[in-house]
Amino acid sequence: MKLSKCLKHALNMVLHSKLRSWLTILGIVIGVASVIAIVSLGEGLEQSLTEQLGDLGGDIITITPGFSRGGDIRSGGDIRFAPEGTGAQATDEETVLDRTDVQALRGLPDIELIDTQIRGNVDVSYLGKSGSVSLTGVDQKVWSLITTNEIREGRMLNSADQNVIVIGGGLADSFFDQPLGINKVITIEDSAFRIVGILDDGSNSIVMPIQMAYQLLDDKEKDVYDSLVVKIRDEDNLDAAIEKIENKLMITRHVTETDRDFSVSSGQQMNKMRSEMLGSMSAFLTAIAAVSLLVGSVGISNTMFTSVLEKTKEIGIMKAIGARNKDILAIFLFNAGLIGLAGGIVGVILGIILSGVMPYLMSDIPLARGGTYVSVDIILIALSVSVLVGIIAGFVPAYQGSKLRPVDALRYE
Amino acid sequence: MIKDQNLPENENDVLLSLEDVWKIYPMGEVEVPALKGITVEIKKRDFVAIIGASGSGKSTMMNLIGCLDIPSKGRILLKDQDISQFSESDLATFRGKTIGFIFQQYNLIPTMSAFENVMLPLEFQEIDDRTASQKAKEILAFLGLADKIHHLPSQLSGGQQQRVSIARCLVTDPEIILADEPTGALDSVTGKNIIEMLHKFWKDDGKTIIMVTHDSNLAKYANTTIELKDGKIIRIQENEVD
Repeated sequence: MKLSKCLKHALNMVLHSKLRSWLTILGIVIGVASVIAIVSLGEGLEQSLTEQLGDLGGDIITITPGFSRGGDIRSGGDIRFAPEGTGAQATDEETVLDRTDVQALRGLPDIELIDTQIRGNVDVSYLGKSGSVSLTGVDQKVWSLITTNEIREGRMLNSADQNVIVIGGGLADSFFDQPLGINKVITIEDSAFRIVGILDDGSNSIVMPIQMAYQLLDDKEKDVYDSLVVKIRDEDNLDAAIEKIENKLMITRHVTETDRDFSVSSGQQMNKMRSEMLGSMSAFLTAIAAVSLLVGSVGISNTMFTSVLEKTKEIGIMKAIGARNKDILAIFLFNAGLIGLAGGIVGVILGIILSGVMPYLMSDIPLARGGTYVSVDIILIALSVSVLVGIIAGFVPAYQGSKLRPVDALRYE
Repeated sequence: MIKDQNLPENENDVLLSLEDVWKIYPMGEVEVPALKGITVEIKKRDFVAIIGASGSGKSTMMNLIGCLDIPSKGRILLKDQDISQFSESDLATFRGKTIGFIFQQYNLIPTMSAFENVMLPLEFQEIDDRTASQKAKEILAFLGLADKIHHLPSQLSGGQQQRVSIARCLVTDPEIILADEPTGALDSVTGKNIIEMLHKFWKDDGKTIIMVTHDSNLAKYANTTIELKDGKIIRIQENEVD
């Protein structure tokens, strides 16, 4: 029998399946829906992070106070992502980065530019609405040359700027009731600032000249920095440059490897760390969801065994009128694959719905804050996997059905 | 290997021969013989009725003749070919092309329409759709079912279902028609129509018909009657038929 005919008969069998058969594919539906929802969550988070952080430059090195050993950050400094992906924020008063460190680094020939940065949270208000956002003070002379952020509208900061700011795309578009645009004036900690540029990202951040930021962030001491962002001359010499920076700072700060009080990280490292972290998190959650698929495959197997049993007589009739073993095998394998596909389609639809509502249901969980993103790839993969799971689960029953002796099958009541 | 089935054949050629055929079923540690050394020859264009009481071995013999089972001992030669030597796949193909089955309980696929049921054997033979569809429609029309082709078996009467079953049997133009109690589930009038139809296929179309029945009145339509008892042939009788 031609494969197209086997498929037609398998489809006919699926359409005439009993409700019991459909219920047993719930495992596949739940498995596929969970995988879609979880992967979409992971992809949403990754997209959101990429949007917020941008692509961290390969020639950018970030130096922060504090040093992490085995996950414990000595001397404070909670590491988190910043607008330029520049690593850490110092909260420690004893170990700081200051002008001395900057002077020391300027002596290194590998370094092209150094941006000094401070960071903190500030209250902003616009047209009567207010809220808290993160503020980054940067050296406006070099920031535009170092940052990996891109400008969506307006311009970057320049060396003559006073009382002007560049804001993140998220802050411009949706933070306040009214969207913010170029030359709009917003109030930050009771001082007025004019917007000169909007970043092409989704962040709720503000970037301003560091001297202005010192005035707004009361707890920041002048000429003390939360991070130093360094651009090296040759990206290929990244590792060597990092080593030189570490050695230089250890000398000027009078520390050794054992009592080091600063961290040096590169954009490449951060990119790698970020994708590794997201990858392993997604893999772990997907593995949990895959258990449902496994349970679903047992359901399909069960359904197929029942189906072969129910159709024993029909197998006998088909064999009597000329069906070969391989025809019966193909019909039942197609049947199993179609059941898997049906489960997959329902699962994908359910998964997309779940992806849509999950950010609202899980708004308190950081994982869900990035929103969700369902890619065509994951839909195709989920459908292929469900068909494959169906075929694998249906193979043994289909094989058993195909090997039935016609005389025995015809006698079955 | 299947021999060339297009060789010219004489009307008196032996189409089917059973040579000392035994069929033994193991029942736990005991072996129960259902057929005990059956030897018989059936010629082309014979209409053979196999009769006997329940448990006499009629159905077992029918299964062996129909290539649905193979003997425990002895040989069955169908068109000079020993069916025990066939692979399962070759036997299925050979069976599909050579033998048409008519069952007591019709054995139609309940989820398929009359037309689809009749198409099924042609699909197994990979006949192209257009030819198969034309053949199926013609044969259904010939059997008076032109207006029922899209009906499911459950929407047809017993007689109509049996006619669909006959259409499915005839659509491949088999040399042998094996009918297992073809009127067993039908009322007497419909049953008579069916047996007369079979008789016509034998008389007018030259089909070889082997019919299993417990009804000695039906056996009168056949030119040969083989009577079984306890797995043995106790009588072979030539009948005078119109």
